[in-house]
Amino acid sequence: MSLNITDRRRINGPQRSVEPVYTTTSPVDAFAAGGRMDGRALDQVRPIFIKTGPLDAQSLSAAAPSGSAYYEQGKIRVSCAVYGPRQGRKSSNNARMGTFDCDFKYAPFSCSWKRSHVKTSDEKEIALMLEQAVAPAIRLDAYPKASVDAFVTVIESDGKAATIAAAINCISAALADAGIELYDSVAACSMSLHSEQWVSDCSQIEENASSCSLLVARMPSADEVTYLLQHGKTTPEQTQQAIQTCANDCTRVYAVICRYLQATLE
Amino acid sequence: MGETGQVTFAMQTFERIHPVEFQRRFLSQSTRHTGREFMQFRSLQVIKGAISTAQGSATVRLGNTTVVCGIKAEVCEPDVKTPSSGYLTTNIELSPMCSARFRPGAPSDEAQVASEHIHRLSAHLLDLTHLCIEKGRAAWSLSADIVCLKHDGNVLDAAVIALVAALEDLRLPRAEFDSATGMVSAERTMGHVEVQRRLFPATFTLVDDVYVVADADDAEEQMAAASLLVVMDADGKLANIWKRGAGVMSKENIELCVQAAGVRMAEIAKALQ
Repeated sequence: MSLNITDRRRINGPQRSVEPVYTTTSPVDAFAAGGRMDGRALDQVRPIFIKTGPLDAQSLSAAAPSGSAYYEQGKIRVSCAVYGPRQGRKSSNNARMGTFDCDFKYAPFSCSWKRSHVKTSDEKEIALMLEQAVAPAIRLDAYPKASVDAFVTVIESDGKAATIAAAINCISAALADAGIELYDSVAACSMSLHSEQWVSDCSQIEENASSCSLLVARMPSADEVTYLLQHGKTTPEQTQQAIQTCANDCTRVYAVICRYLQATLE
Repeated sequence: MGETGQVTFAMQTFERIHPVEFQRRFLSQSTRHTGREFMQFRSLQVIKGAISTAQGSATVRLGNTTVVCGIKAEVCEPDVKTPSSGYLTTNIELSPMCSARFRPGAPSDEAQVASEHIHRLSAHLLDLTHLCIEKGRAAWSLSADIVCLKHDGNVLDAAVIALVAALEDLRLPRAEFDSATGMVSAERTMGHVEVQRRLFPATFTLVDDVYVVADADDAEEQMAAASLLVVMDADGKLANIWKRGAGVMSKENIELCVQAAGVRMAEIAKALQ
């Protein structure tokens, strides 16, 4: 349901609009007959596609971003633009290090319900998560007083944790495309717990059926975890096992990102 | 240093330092910096239905400019004045993601003006009475959101084409209103909504007060004195002409543009197939 605030700067629809009640919603069992809906194995990540840079590099506008990436993982579609290093907005006291700022937004049509145009606290929280996950990889000491800005828009979402992981991967690709100095690319992956079994890279339907979700962001070459978030109830042993598996998944995703980036050099 | 005492630059440096002079070098030779003819539009690519979370969607690529239009359908009470009509609201989002010219936060003036104009154009695209579920009680409210992913000039054309394509792609569930509970129930079987009047936009820009070019990219838009949007419908009739900017365009130029818009119509119709 969306209670549409009258936004003076946009074309507004009716005050109140709701989703209709779907009559043929029999609860879909995401893990019926032991398999997954799309036929993947329990530890299989969805296929990834990345396209960095402009479509036509010949005619590039002066206001174009330094680097950009379009990322697809199954049905998830994320687009990111990176500007920088450019003049920092605040004259910070810590003049020896640059800053990394991230902006995150779901497009209104990206989720199964209609999202608001105005940025919600949910999106601001995710923007902070992305900053925390990616900032350790950037050589900010090489850009004093400068700022690197990343803007992420989710065009289609399929699983909350998976979408955030996709956003992290997308920013990594865009940063590499922008030529920002990095220690390593950050690769992220997510898992969900369903009936005591950890399942990699869950779609929205699978996530709705799970009791816990885990997100890990990692720099594989440096063997460092930059971000870790778990929602839900598990035992410490289960979490430990999951972190290990998820870290391996991150390495696999990292290999895919690197392969796409290498292909742009050819 | 050249023999005549002129300073010579590498092309990219010249473009950065004297963007206006750089463009003039090409325009004065009746060509453009990307090699296009004055009245030549960029290649157009339309992909419909790529987004499964939206009831209707389309991605449009016009050269480097990329926009995505997604339509979400929700149910609402119709307006008291028009009890058999639904709603179609259109908004365009120009965020810092597409170009450094836009600031984060509330929609800029440019975005507001563009949203308003597209909304006015959209008034005749659909017959809003087709969105009625139960007269006076329930109707569909479609919200079409156009997100610009990459901005390289002429976002307005791309946005209108994306909107038309998304509306053609739109699938609405069959809905029924239950007067006892006041709820609308819907089945997953989808029905089409007919686009009443297809629109074909073409934008022409008056560059450097003299040259009229079609489908200006960002570099050319920065030098624009005025711009003219010509929208034709499928019958070859004029649906809308909108001239913006203080620059003066002669009557002959405007006639030329309208003619070129007619030609462009065929190109867009082919891409929308």
